[in-house]
Order: sequence, then C-alpha cells, then structure tokens
Amino acid sequence: MVNVMKGVLVECDPAMKQFLLHLDEKLALGRKFIIQDLDENHLFISTDIVEVLQARVDDLMDRISFPLHDKDA
Amino acid sequence: MADTKSGTGRYSAAGGSGTTGLSPLVQGPANLECKDFQEYLRTRQTPETLEKLYNYPPICLAVFRELPEIARQFIIRILFVDQPVPQAVVTSWGAQRCAKEQAEATSCLTALNVWRVTAIPGGLSAWELSPTFKKSVRQVLLGGGKPWPMTNTLEKDSKPRDIAFLDTYAMSRWRCVLHYMVGTGNRNGTDAEAISPDAVRILLHANLMKRDERDGITITRQGFQFLLLDTRAQVWHFMLQYLDTCEERGISLPECLSMLFQLSFSTLGRDYSSEGMNSQMLTFLQHLREFGLVFQRKRKEGRFYPTRLALNVTSKEAAATASVAMDEEATQDCGYIVVETNYRVYAYTDSPLQVAVLGLFTELLYRFPNLVVGVLTRDSVRQALRGGITAEQIVSYLEQYAHPNMRMVESAIQSKSCLPPTVVDQIKLWELERNRFTYTEGVVYNQFLSHTDFVTLRDYAQSIHMLVWQNERTRTMVVQKNGHDDVKRYWKKYSKSGV
Repeated sequence: MVNVMKGVLVECDPAMKQFLLHLDEKLALGRKFIIQDLDENHLFISTDIVEVLQARVDDLMDRISFPLHDKDA
Repeated sequence: MADTKSGTGRYSAAGGSGTTGLSPLVQGPANLECKDFQEYLRTRQTPETLEKLYNYPPICLAVFRELPEIARQFIIRILFVDQPVPQAVVTSWGAQRCAKEQAEATSCLTALNVWRVTAIPGGLSAWELSPTFKKSVRQVLLGGGKPWPMTNTLEKDSKPRDIAFLDTYAMSRWRCVLHYMVGTGNRNGTDAEAISPDAVRILLHANLMKRDERDGITITRQGFQFLLLDTRAQVWHFMLQYLDTCEERGISLPECLSMLFQLSFSTLGRDYSSEGMNSQMLTFLQHLREFGLVFQRKRKEGRFYPTRLALNVTSKEAAATASVAMDEEATQDCGYIVVETNYRVYAYTDSPLQVAVLGLFTELLYRFPNLVVGVLTRDSVRQALRGGITAEQIVSYLEQYAHPNMRMVESAIQSKSCLPPTVVDQIKLWELERNRFTYTEGVVYNQFLSHTDFVTLRDYAQSIHMLVWQNERTRTMVVQKNGHDDVKRYWKKYSKSGV
C-alpha cells in the first residue's frame, strides 16, 4: 500500500526550516500546514498556505532588518 | 539586444503543467521577452508567411544584413547559381576548424527558410535558395522591379529640418509613450502629451500595461522591465508588438515590416515622399509619426523625415555607433547618475521621465532644477522587486546611465562595474532575501510496504524526469505534480502484475 498526498515541496536553508516548524507548532497561521518533514532542507506543506506563508516570512525579514543609513544625515 | 530574461527564476515553476488556481509564487514570474529580428521571424512566422515576407526586397535586405557573416558569404556565393548546390560543396568552402560556425550558419539559413534541402541526381542532397528570397535579394543588389514607394522625388523643402531638430522631436515623442507608462504624462491633457487609443491598445496587448478594475490602466511587471531597456530596444520591442496587432487593424504585416525596414535604410535628415502609398500605409505612417519614428509637419503633407529611432530599429552594430552620436548631442541621455557607497543616488537630470524611472527603486529625497537626490533603501528596492523588477535590472540601469565621473574613480576592489561593490551586492542580497524558499508543487509518496516497491517506483519517476526528492531510508519520494498521473498509472500496473 502506498500513501499519496498533494502539496508543495519547499526547499530552504535549515534556519528557515526551523522557522516554519515553529510557525506550524504554534499554529501561528491558524492551523497546521506541514504535511511531512522530509530532511533538514526540505519540507512538504499544503498548497493553499503558500501565499500566507510568504507574507509571514516577509514580515519576519522586515522585523529583523534595520535601516542602514540615516535619511537626514 | 539587452537580455531581460536573466530573472533569477528561483521559484522553480511546476514544470509548465498549465495548472490553474495556483498562487503566483509557485509558478515562475513571467518576464519580458525581447526578441531580435531573427528570433522574431523564427518563432512568430510559419514558412508560408516567411515566403510572403520575402516578396518584399527591403525585408530580404534586412534579413540578409542580420545573418551571421558566414551565412551571408554562402548566400552571395550561390545567389547567381541557377541550380541547387551540393551540400558537400558548401561545406568545403570553410576550414575544418570553423565547422561549428558553419553549422550555425547553415541551421540559421534553414530556420529562416532562406534555403532548403533538395535532392539532385546522383542521390546527393543539395541546398537551394528560396526562389522568392533569391529574386528579392538580386533586386536589392542590382536594382530592378517596382520602384520603392518612398523614392519619388520631391521639390526642395522650403523649411528643411536638420538632424538636431529631428532627434529632439523623436525623443520627445517617444518619451510621451514612456511618460504615459510611468503615469507622469498628462492623461487628459493637451495633444502634445496625450497618446492615442491605438498606442494604449498596443501597450495593453504587449502586456506592458494592464487594465485594472480599480485604477484604470496600470503598468505591469513587464512594463517596468521595459522602462529599464535602452531606447533602441524599447522601440524595437514596441514595434514588434505593434506588428502583432496590425493585422487586426486591417493593415498588412508584410507591407508594414517592409516599410519599417525601408525607413531604417533611409538617410537621416533627408525628406521622403509619401506619394503612391496606399491608405493602409498612410495610417501606418501616422502611427510611426505618433511614436516619433518619422517627422511630418502636417498629417496631409506628402513629405516626411525619418528620425533616428526609425533608423536604429534594425541592426545591432549600427546601434552602437548611432547611440554614441546621440549621446554627444543629447548629453542628458548618457551618464547622469552618481551612486555613492552610502547608497545615495545623485541624478543630474531635469527629465520627469528619468526621475520617475529612478523613483521606481529609490527613495527620492530632494529635487532641484537639475539634480535629484535619492537613496537606495531596503524598502524602496523591495518595492521594485515586488513590482517585478530584478536586482540585475536595477544594477544594469544604474551602470548604463552612470555619470562619466563614476568611471574614473579608482576602486581598491577590482570590479567590472563602475558602481560601488557594496551597493551592487546589497541590492542583490535584498533580492535573495525574498527568495529563501523554492517551491515545487508536487505529490508525496510514502508508507511503501517494501523496499523493492519503493525502488521500482522511484526509478520509474526518475526515468521520466519527474522525481524531485527522495529518501531511501524513510521510503519517501516527491514527484512533480504533472508527473503524478503517469506514476500512478505505472504503480497500478506494477502492483497488479506483482500480485
């Protein structure tokens, strides 16, 4: 018997993968979305979450970046 | 021609499966494709229409000029031979070490339907020039045939226009189109600024702009990329799109193309007569006039001047020399941008268009009569990236219009670019930051009962190039979405035969 599931394969660096695992665990996007944890660089997730996820990651990147220069300088 | 296909394409598209209802993130972004003349002929035209085009000597001349040198050599050598030439003979004309170039030239000629293979007695295959092409090229080289429509002699113009005037005129017309795209043009305003519904239709057709339900017509991702091209490439791309739509408007494509090339072979600063043109061609002429490819004082006047835009439209090498000449005359077109290591951008310009383009990816701080100061910030660059501009395009735009002084600065770091390396790197990093994930739509297979089952199915998926990821230990594999049906079918057959 074989189990078959549709979804999206995500390839990323280990740090980003941990972030996704975190989101999944805390139900930050409202529900669980990781179908299967494949290896340290790959995850299999549900298709409909991709857009929300991308927005969320953009948010994260916004929060961890700092303006490089002073505009009034 | 500027290559705009260098988009990173980090999202691996789902194999062109034509899936619908999928988020744009999973599918690769559509980029502006800019074709040169040969590519255009090869991809857009069928052999039958090519044959139709070859009835027009100017088109043949343009095709001939664009061919690789060896291919031109071949044509000249067999142009006056009235029988097919054996392939072996043609091959023997070149040295062995140039075999690759020869093969390229041969395939190019075949693809453009300039010559074709025929069999000659003795079972040899031979090359034969397309009769229409042959006839037209002979006419171009030796004269004869019907006179070209533009060649009627005119009385001397009482108020002749000089080259400088034509250049300013052409650029101002062309900028109108660009202005319209960036939205700085006067949409409802005077006729000097507005562009015609026809031009708008072409922009829409070319996907450079799109109709939006909320805010009317807006610029698209391809439109942004279009703005960053150099003028010649812009005109050429625009004209190709125009040609796509001209049949709908009841104007014949071969006639337009032929006229366009005739214009490109004409002399700058000379006036030509529009006498003897049919009504379709006169309409075409009016369109060209609108985009600044020709100058005409009055609509009904039987006299027009081709401008540099029309002259540059075809050839690649001519473009280099012509644009140099243009730079000298219109200094604002060459370098005007200074980029400093602190991400500040100083642009010495008063053109609202250039300011608008710069504003696509910089945050503008101050504006003076001849100077604009802006700064490249993460936000401003990201906004451009979201709009579909790639980091590569931003960098190449800044390089292309870098102020001459930028090139003289000696940098400790050896780099080909005249921009500060930190800025270039940072722009690229900002782009990479958005692409930390690669999405591939697919189907996961797991919980295989036996190792052999897994290996068989995996090997099959691999053999049809649909396997994306697999792990033998956990007996899990991921197959591309469009390969799922095949793999499923194979699995059913396999498991049935196995039982």
